[in-house]
Formats: sequence, structure tokens, C-alpha cells
Amino acid sequence: MSEVELSCLAYAKMYLHASQFPRCSVNGLLLSSSPAGGTICITDCVPLLHSHLSLAPITQLALTQVDVWCSQTQQRIVGYYQANACVSDSSPTPCALKIAEKIFEQCNNAVLLMIDGEKMFPGCRAPPIVMYERKDARWALKDKHTIMLRQWEETCSIVNQLFSSGDQALLVDFDSHLDDITKDWTNQKLNAKIMELVSPANGNV
Amino acid sequence: MSSISELYDVTWEEMRDKLRKWREENYRNSEQIVDVGEELINEHASKLGDDIWIIYEQVMIAALDCSRDDLAWSCLQELKRQFPDSHRVKRLAGMRLEALERYEDANKLYDSILQDDPTNTAARKRKISILRAQGKSSEAIRELNEYLEQFVGDQEAWHELSELYINEHDYAKAAFCLEELMMTNPHNHLYCEQYAEVKYTQGGLENLELARKYFAQALKLNNRNMRALFGLYMSASHIAASPKVSAKVKKDNVKYAAWAASQISRAYQMAGRGKKENKCSVKAVEEMLESMQITMS
Repeated sequence: MSEVELSCLAYAKMYLHASQFPRCSVNGLLLSSSPAGGTICITDCVPLLHSHLSLAPITQLALTQVDVWCSQTQQRIVGYYQANACVSDSSPTPCALKIAEKIFEQCNNAVLLMIDGEKMFPGCRAPPIVMYERKDARWALKDKHTIMLRQWEETCSIVNQLFSSGDQALLVDFDSHLDDITKDWTNQKLNAKIMELVSPANGNV
Repeated sequence: MSSISELYDVTWEEMRDKLRKWREENYRNSEQIVDVGEELINEHASKLGDDIWIIYEQVMIAALDCSRDDLAWSCLQELKRQFPDSHRVKRLAGMRLEALERYEDANKLYDSILQDDPTNTAARKRKISILRAQGKSSEAIRELNEYLEQFVGDQEAWHELSELYINEHDYAKAAFCLEELMMTNPHNHLYCEQYAEVKYTQGGLENLELARKYFAQALKLNNRNMRALFGLYMSASHIAASPKVSAKVKKDNVKYAAWAASQISRAYQMAGRGKKENKCSVKAVEEMLESMQITMS
């Protein structure tokens, strides 16, 4: 059972994505800039959709574009995240399983991450995430002890800072990009802001 | 903390007009509505005249969306005082109960409205929304279908039903709902484009051809609909790559795809002008178009 490390950057953007569209299901891809093998380090994420997650064309388009961008930037797609509109239900939908399968075909330790909406409130001690990994031809819950979120307290405070400064509105997902193609779905601006807030002592966070 | 009028340098009339615009165009920018509306109500209530009642309603609903029960409650009280026996206000009270997840109490309220007035569509739709909020999709679908048998012209309901079917992966039924919407709204490019997406998802040559046609139709209605443009590119490419098509069909679709690709490149070039950060997506699109070309031939 391999370990998974979730960076502050990836976590913050996922959280912001789910918060930006509280009435919709949202999804996105988890990326890694580390080489394959050993611990999976999720270093970044790309927020994809907030509408019609199960319809094919835009999903296919987004997957292709992210794939191309990843090869240009030495990253790999290592997982998929989703937050369901219905807060009380954080189980993976058929659409989530389908996309995760596709990613697993290219990455044999891919993870499926569901955001637990019920735990998304200020002051919640536990990270609002549930992770699944491929085991015996199905997606099984990952042991919590193999999931690492470095500097959890600091990550929480960074997310809070983004909300209070209004920077959470900078997040662009692929859907929003299609509404206005001048918007950058790679979120360079927001990434820079988040990395500024991450203290320099953290090295590879 | 400075007021909205100070922050944005707007007059109370401009704030009132903004609220009207958001109301008429059915925006759900609840945080903004709460900010603007709350200030309008607190500082300028006397100037608003009869507009104040519809503003109370609008702000109340937005407040529920933002978990501002304090504000929602005070708006509701004003409305109850002014319109003591109104079904419309009763429905708002029901919505507040829904926001507090007191679904049984909300249902009782809506049932009492329906006893008084069985044709009250608002109450019926709220009951269906409760089913949706509780995750009871099949019941919501059943109720919505019954509702539409009676109120066959309710666009909002048809759209809601298409969304429910899409979530349940019942694409054939979703397509049916969108067909109804396209019939009554032939100039709406979004319905055409959504219909095309559903057809594409269903897959198979026939559906892909329909998808391509409707993506093209959406573009005719709005030549800036990027989803339709990409959809046209992808469906034409898939058809051209299929071994089952005749040489002529293949040739035609290669042409359509090439046209779409050039439009896409043009759009991205125009968008990327002068913006450093867009180089990433422009390059990604170019490579994507290239990579898809290879699979086509």
C-alpha cells in the first residue's frame, strides 16, 4: 500500500473549487511533478467542471488538454477529485469511477479523492477528504495513515487567508475557461499567490 | 467596514437598479445580492416605495443561500406583516425551513398551500426540490414527470428534469427533455449545445452525426460558443475516423473538423494577445489539435 502526499497547493485549490460552486458537483485532476515510483506526491491539481460532469465531450476535451499541458510541464496525471453537490453523500459516482479507471490505465497507483462536504466548515480538525485506491479490480478506501498532508495547520490557515483576501475568486476551472477563454485554467496567478503564502521553510510543499 | 455605496461609488438608485437587473435575469449571485440588498433595506427603505416588498423577497432568498438566517428572518417578518395571508409569503417561509433542513415542516407548509390552491405550481416545485435535496432522485423524477403532464409549458421544469436525467445517466430521456426545450426556444444556443453533448455522450455513428449537426446549429445561433466549436471539432473528427463511413462522408467531416480547428486556433490567438499567462493554454490547444489530427488519419 503506497503512501500519498497531498501538497498545500493541491489541497487549497481543490477546496477553493468546491467552495466556489457550493450548489454543483465539481471535479478535477490531481497532478504530480515527482517521478513515478514510491510515494505519490500530489503537487498540484487542475479544477475541471462544475456542470454536467457525466457528459463526454467537455470531459474528453479537458483530459486531452491537461494531458498535453502536463507533458509540456513535466507533470503526470495521478488522480481525480470530485465533490458532490449533495453534501451528505460523498461516495464516488459512476462518472467518478469511470474517469478514475481511465487515469489508472496510465498510472498504476492512481488515487480517487472524494471531498467530504460535511467536513468543510471553519474550525474542522479533520481534512475533508476520502481517498480510494485500486485494489483487486475495484476502488477501495485507502488507509488514512497512508495519506499525508504536511503542515495541515498551516494549510488551513493559508486557505483562510485566501478567503479573507478575496483571492479565492481568482480560481478558474475548465468550465469557466470555456465561458471566457482569456481565463487561465492552469491558474498561474493563483498558484503564485498560494506559493507566496507557503512559508519558505517547507521546501517541497 | 465601508458600505457598498462607498466602496463602489454608487447611488442608492443604482443599487436598486442593479437588484432589479439581477432579479429579472435570474442571477444567483447571492452574496452580492445580500451585500447590496441589506444596505438598501437598512439605509434607504423609505425611498424604495412599493419596490421594497419584492426586494425583501429577493434578499430573503439570497440570505438563505448564504446561511444568513438573521437577515432572512427579518425580511420574512416584514413580508408576513404586510401580506398576512399570502401563499407567496408562505412559500418563502417554507424555503426558510428547507434551508434549516426541516424538510417535514416545510412539506407540511407546502401541503397546506396546495390544499387551499391545488394549482399552486410554486409549492409543487418546492416539494420536488426537497426530494432532490434529500438525494431522492427517482422520486423527484417521477414527481416532476407528473407535474409536467399538467404544466407542459413550464420551461424551468423541463430543464430541471433534463438535469436530473443527465445525473442518472439516462441520456435518452434527457435528450427528450432538451428536444422539448429546443422546440419552444429555437433561438437558444445553450439548449442546442447541451442536446449535442448528450447525443455525443450516447455515442454511435448516428448520434455523433446528430451531435455534429446540433453543435453546428448552436454555433449558428452564437458563433462564440466555445463548447459548440470544440464539440463540432470532436464529433466531426470522430466521424471522419470511423471505418464505417463512406469516402464522401469522411471527406466532408475532415472539412468540418479542419474549419472548426482553424476557428479554435483563431479564437485562442485573439484571446492570448498580450497576455503572458495564456501562452500555456494556447500552446496546449495547438498541440491538442495536432494530436487529435493524428488519430483522425
